[in-house]
Amino acid sequence: MTATVPPVPRAAAAAGWKPTASSRRSTLAPWAFILPGFIIYAVVMLYPAVQTLNMSLHEWSIVPGADSPWIGLDNYFRAFNDPEFITSLVNAGVYTAVTVPIQMAIGLGLALLLNDHLPGRTLFRVLFYLPVVTSWVVVSLLFQFIFSSSAEGLANSLLIDVLHVADEPTSFFLNRWTAYIAICALGIWKGLGWSMLIFLAALTAVPKELHEAAALDGANAWQRFRNVSLPAIRSAVATVFILLVIGGFNVFISVMLMTGGENDTHVPLTMMYEQGFRFFDFGYGSAISFSLTIIVLGLSAFQYWWTKRKTKL
Amino acid sequence: MTPRTLRSLLAVTAAATLVSLTGCAAGDSGTPAGENVIGQPGDTNISGTVTFWHAYSVDSNEVKTLREVLIPRFNETYPNVTVEDVAIPWDELHKKLITGVAGDVLPDLVRADLAWVPEMANLGVLEPLSQTMPDFQQLADTTYPGVLETNRWKGEYYGLPLDTNTRVLMYNSEALAAAGVDAPPATVEELKAIAPKLKAAGSFVFADNGASGWNILPWIWSAGGDITDPDVTKASGYLDSAASVAGVQTWVDLYQGGFMPDIVLGDSGGLSTSDGLAQGKYATIMDGPWMWPIFGSQYPDFELKAAPVPAGAGGSISVVGGEDIVLTKSSKNKAAAAEFLRFLLSEEAQYEFAKIGQMSVLKSLAPRLTEINDFYHHFTSQLEKAKNRPATPAWSQIDSILQDEVRAAIRGEKTVQEALSSAAKQADALLAKYAG
Amino acid sequence: MLIVRAVRYTILTIATVILVYPFIFMVSVSFRSRSTSLGNPFEIMPSEPTLNNYERVLNEENFGLYAFNSAFVAIVSTFLIVLLSSMMAFGLTRFQFKGRRIVMTAIIAGLTIPTMMLIIPQFLLARDLQLLNSLPGLIPFYVGTALGFNTFLLCGFFEGIPAELDEAMIIDGAGAWRRYFNLALPLAKPALATTVIFAFLGTWDEFAWALTVINDEKQRTLPIAIALFQGQHSTSWGLVFAASLLALIPVLIVYIVFQRFFVAGIASGALKS
Repeated sequence: MTATVPPVPRAAAAAGWKPTASSRRSTLAPWAFILPGFIIYAVVMLYPAVQTLNMSLHEWSIVPGADSPWIGLDNYFRAFNDPEFITSLVNAGVYTAVTVPIQMAIGLGLALLLNDHLPGRTLFRVLFYLPVVTSWVVVSLLFQFIFSSSAEGLANSLLIDVLHVADEPTSFFLNRWTAYIAICALGIWKGLGWSMLIFLAALTAVPKELHEAAALDGANAWQRFRNVSLPAIRSAVATVFILLVIGGFNVFISVMLMTGGENDTHVPLTMMYEQGFRFFDFGYGSAISFSLTIIVLGLSAFQYWWTKRKTKL
Repeated sequence: MTPRTLRSLLAVTAAATLVSLTGCAAGDSGTPAGENVIGQPGDTNISGTVTFWHAYSVDSNEVKTLREVLIPRFNETYPNVTVEDVAIPWDELHKKLITGVAGDVLPDLVRADLAWVPEMANLGVLEPLSQTMPDFQQLADTTYPGVLETNRWKGEYYGLPLDTNTRVLMYNSEALAAAGVDAPPATVEELKAIAPKLKAAGSFVFADNGASGWNILPWIWSAGGDITDPDVTKASGYLDSAASVAGVQTWVDLYQGGFMPDIVLGDSGGLSTSDGLAQGKYATIMDGPWMWPIFGSQYPDFELKAAPVPAGAGGSISVVGGEDIVLTKSSKNKAAAAEFLRFLLSEEAQYEFAKIGQMSVLKSLAPRLTEINDFYHHFTSQLEKAKNRPATPAWSQIDSILQDEVRAAIRGEKTVQEALSSAAKQADALLAKYAG
Repeated sequence: MLIVRAVRYTILTIATVILVYPFIFMVSVSFRSRSTSLGNPFEIMPSEPTLNNYERVLNEENFGLYAFNSAFVAIVSTFLIVLLSSMMAFGLTRFQFKGRRIVMTAIIAGLTIPTMMLIIPQFLLARDLQLLNSLPGLIPFYVGTALGFNTFLLCGFFEGIPAELDEAMIIDGAGAWRRYFNLALPLAKPALATTVIFAFLGTWDEFAWALTVINDEKQRTLPIAIALFQGQHSTSWGLVFAASLLALIPVLIVYIVFQRFFVAGIASGALKS
């Protein structure tokens, strides 16, 4: 006997879960699914995170057995009074504000273009994913090369010879904001394929029948996008947004490889790395990264609440 | 007592406890024979596995020499010792050592950058060879004193030099000739004088890719200045002295006059010193002996020439670089590791390394180096007049501060005196931490 | 209609050029014999192309071994990540139970934690669990650090599956596992494909942790081997690029194979059954 399948339009409208008596019955079942993964996760991620928090509350010495005196929230006070830390937060914030919307918009655009049947679709999908899979070391080197200070560098050639907006070559990496142009360009370039992928997956989860029904109703491409695709991928959009914002604030490797944090380009995690591995102050480094985590957590919680609020309306 | 002094004191106490626990205290008559101590050289019955961490890249001549020549030769005399060398990318080696310290998981021997030795000694993870190695003094006497000092911390020596190098002035004679200059500048004054001529002919008189100690110290020292007092306890009075200011002022004047390119402020995306020299855009740069093979393969048509560092009021003084070899306290095979260490410092091993570009630390080999490679003579003569960067665990931070302040002065954000005074004050605070 | 097509292709071509140019340049440099500096950005065809770099990489002793090591770790980790994160996402979205919010919060909180920060405690943990210097020992760490992200991702997808379908199966007497295998997994094929792609890429490419933990050369993974082509004073980038390009091949294969699932209609097809 086939299960009664609800008519398709209702399926689309019913995004989200409604508890019923039958599923409330099995209170143990969910744990069977959750525990194996959660235990590994807790041991490998949460437990070390708690230890790092602990490190941040001490003047932590890396020599095992040496004393690490308790200093409470001193490291945190130090962080928020440290102009370098504030600068790093601003840098991470700007990086996030610039790269996230652009990545999402272009990623979504590309996913839409590659969603329908199109000869060569697979080739394009592979090509657009190439930046994502290329290693950061290689890509940072290539972008330093592209944003080279000489007049023959690609970016400078573009600005001087093609767009005619500059007369002199710019040394991009010697100045905080021009360096961030390069760093943001790198971040966007490398992340596009990633968001495109997730949006592709979300778009293909939209049953074809919905599009067909809407087309039969006389909707054009834009209307179909707005009324069929967009609501169905709302959840994916929210997910991508949160993940990209978290990733944006936690940017590390590209900044490390491109400027090493010099010339005021530090982000919190490069600062943390420097404090820990160059200056041996792991307590302070941990406080910096925890402060960042708290800020990002706050933002994510706000975001989550905001999207939930919107769906309720 | 400040928390930091307390912490250092406790770290030292912990280290001392560790030392007594491992029974490696020199002259400890209670140590039974056969415990993990460094013995007299020449005991060919020693056995064990020795792990040796280094940063020689794969497929490099250094690694080939190590594995195909040196280790087999070592095994001829010590057949029961297995030497396992582990290559770790240079950029990551320091980080891996720190994690190793935290986790108490370290190899037996490490080829360590000079600056890491005081750091690791301060953390208590290195064997004080001057105390526990019976033939330490003989080995030490064969090496250049300047390089040997890089291993010193609080009166003891925690390693021995392995290879050394220094910076000399490298120049493009064609670029100089194009401006009517027929010889490289021998003094700083000459360099400043020819700068405008070179600019008119389309090149920068000098280029360097940073403003940290490695870059600017030759200029400070050659001007007669210094960073700290000889005991490395404070920087005020030295770093901000008139002579040091004069040394840095040279750079500021050159940059502001357009005679030095902006890669000194950061070299990402800029024309590197080596490329610029070969292309004639930079008339002179400063670099080390590794550049010869690199230029040889990358720019075979360019004739690389070298000269001593331009002299100032203090003479022509360059900065010592290189690597030391250290033995960790946690090693379980100190006797075997020490034998391999001795082998690496032997004339035979040092000569093999010299053949592929690693300059020897042995005074006795100096005359023979030029028969391997003619260009070595620039470096051996400069090494006689080269100083070390201050050997203190605070150096990494002080270096970073120095670079930031000098760059601020170059940019014109402050005067050189202001920049160096500020750097000196911050350095004082850092040095005080380790003075206890 | 034709105009729309033409516009589409134009946009796609522009996007391709921008996204693929650095990659093409990388390929070009990998065929150069002298590559310590990168030269001219517009010089795509090398003047004296050579296979020398590729030869050196492939002849590098143990390169095949490192590739095998990476493959082993990546395949096992990917399998576990997909399995465990889909199970967790299923448990979190198809049921309502006490503690659900706590687990969900723990996972979201974990997302905000940068793994860089955890290196020292994780190192001590690995040491205490005797997982240091062991290739299989990498797996629990890779799996644990990827679970948060992938579970979160899959939760987003699973939430879009209507509850009525579950209920229909429950009325039929299907237990939780049947619902997992026969309902959730088939419907979430695109999402699972995404997870496979990300999980494989993440574990195949992982460098920092593998470097921290592995000392034994025979247990080394590919990214470390590639990093070792870099020198202390200079690097032949052609060599590094050649090695990186070779290392890319498995990742691309996984991608090409699994992106097949991004086809509209797979989802609706499953609904009909």
